[in-house]
Amino acid sequence: MGTFIQLVIDGLSTGSIYAALALAIVLVNQATGLINFAQGGMAVLSAYIAWVLNGFGIPLLLAILAAVVISFFLGAVIERFLIRRFEGGDPDTAVVATIGLLTLITGLCAWIWTYNNRLFPSLFPLETVQIAGAVISVRSLGTIVVIVAIMLLLQALFLGTKLGLALRAVAINPASAAFSGVNVGRNLMVGWGLAAVLGAVAGVLVAPQLTLTPGMMDSALVYALAACILGGLSSPIGVVVAAWLIGVLENLAAVYVPFIGHDLKIAVPFILIFVVLIVRPQGLFGRKAVVRV
Amino acid sequence: MAANTDLSTRTRVLGRPWVPWAAAGLVIVLMIVLPLILPEFANQTIARIGVFAVAVLGLNVVMGYTGQVSLGQIFFVGVGAYVTAFGVNADWNIVLIFVLACLVPAVIGLLIALAAARLGGLAIAMVTIALPIVGVPLAKRLSDFTGGSQGTSARFSSAPEWTGLYDDQWQLYIVFLIGGITFLLTRNLVRGKYGRAFAIVKNNEAVAGSMGISPYRYKVLAFTIASLIGGVSGFLYMVVIQYTSPETLNFGHSIELLAAMVIGGAGSIIGSLLGGVWYVIVPYVTGIIDPNITALLQGAILLIVLFILPGGLVSLPRLWRRRGRDAGRGGGVLGDDGQPDAAASVTGTPTVGDALGAPSAGGPSKPSPPPPTTQS
Repeated sequence: MGTFIQLVIDGLSTGSIYAALALAIVLVNQATGLINFAQGGMAVLSAYIAWVLNGFGIPLLLAILAAVVISFFLGAVIERFLIRRFEGGDPDTAVVATIGLLTLITGLCAWIWTYNNRLFPSLFPLETVQIAGAVISVRSLGTIVVIVAIMLLLQALFLGTKLGLALRAVAINPASAAFSGVNVGRNLMVGWGLAAVLGAVAGVLVAPQLTLTPGMMDSALVYALAACILGGLSSPIGVVVAAWLIGVLENLAAVYVPFIGHDLKIAVPFILIFVVLIVRPQGLFGRKAVVRV
Repeated sequence: MAANTDLSTRTRVLGRPWVPWAAAGLVIVLMIVLPLILPEFANQTIARIGVFAVAVLGLNVVMGYTGQVSLGQIFFVGVGAYVTAFGVNADWNIVLIFVLACLVPAVIGLLIALAAARLGGLAIAMVTIALPIVGVPLAKRLSDFTGGSQGTSARFSSAPEWTGLYDDQWQLYIVFLIGGITFLLTRNLVRGKYGRAFAIVKNNEAVAGSMGISPYRYKVLAFTIASLIGGVSGFLYMVVIQYTSPETLNFGHSIELLAAMVIGGAGSIIGSLLGGVWYVIVPYVTGIIDPNITALLQGAILLIVLFILPGGLVSLPRLWRRRGRDAGRGGGVLGDDGQPDAAASVTGTPTVGDALGAPSAGGPSKPSPPPPTTQS
């Protein structure tokens, strides 16, 4: 029973990382209708920035906050000068543009910091606490708390502020939003900036565990995409729940299903997806898209 | 007047029914002669281009023509390669091996498509991304079949004694033969009834449905054909490279393949060929420039090409012609194909006089109507 609880909490913790990245993908997708494959790469770059700042002697928390702010502007700049060229065009070209961006950012990180693993200090102490007979690391609990707090903040931003209203308006109908005096371009930049911030948080939270390498977020990106399909691209809450589900299930399957083990646990979310797709093609929480001719 | 005659002669010659046959004949002659005269390295490079051009062609069927983003194409190439390696090492008949190398990926593709095609738009991309990601650990796990992490090699494409050819020449001939047939069959497929159905599904699924074309069925069909062509590519991969490992179906290769397809030109047969060239040549070139920044350069080149040519390399001649025409109208400079000149002389305006009279302006005084494609 102790092992089981421990696995569930650890699963929720890794699931939270996927959730942050998945939310970033949903945010971009809702605003611009494209899937940003570079989201993981941008997160890695943010983590490297935090690492460098920390290396200059800036306290870790401040370094992370600074990296988050830098990431916001980086995301906005990428939208303005790179992605805007492809918005409204052929979606395949836009997807490939984000793939090019992923290659570029990964290459940039590899060029500056090489492919060697860098140790990233943890924001949380490496202690463990005993809960109901299970040994649970403070890091897992901390990760979950941080991600939940950020999600609540984001929800408050979207539902309770004028900026959130404008962002939603741009996402739903850019043309009407523009007619109502909303600056669509600036809001798209803000959307990308916020997505980059979410990615940055995911990056600095996962870096201590995986150690910092240019390809660190590659598998996290895949899990995040899986969460997006499973939860439905139109539902932020669904995506988060799906990400947690994936985190927990893959942890449990790795331990309790001998054939899967740790090497094949990445297959778990996709088996889950196949089952869900046959029953609910729009995802667990998604709305069925109605297309007008 | 001379230009006018020239133009009409040209259209008359190009319109003749024997011209495509002559072009095809020329290509076939080149395909027979080139392997004999080129150095070994060139032959190997061309063979590799052939292998990946076929893989890109398969991706084009599902993505370029049917509009379903697939990130799993390399998985089917890998399955084809593994089946070939296994068959060769088990001493099966080579024809049987080839058939299996096509059929096994096709069946896997069919099963996956039956579930994945229920999703619309980019969601298919996110399902198919799983194939290479799950494929790598799976290939490591099934070590009896795949040789585990070390991979497996199969030497079966050495040139037979009676031909007197070198191995690289023999391999290139195999690639030309199988790849050529695959390209020809695919070209016929996408230009016929199925190609039109794919195009409607790509443009508007609702319209397709209202015309009695089931989007679901055609998506599954396109995906299955793409997997089958991926299997052909996998077979050729083993012919040329003779070794495969889990690294073959690495996720990175899958997105490079996708990039190669868009760069070459989505929904184009020639574009698939250019995509294969891109896939093989660009890593080679960036490796020469500076091996440390290969990934950086590849990403940058990819983005630059997308910025300049969103339609892929295949749209380059069109862009070129338009440039030439604009220049011809603006400054009286001839386009590379001489068409601005021809268009001007048809309406009786001497191009040289136009250039002297209004060197800078785009010619509001010029009576000739602009060529139709200039403004598009």
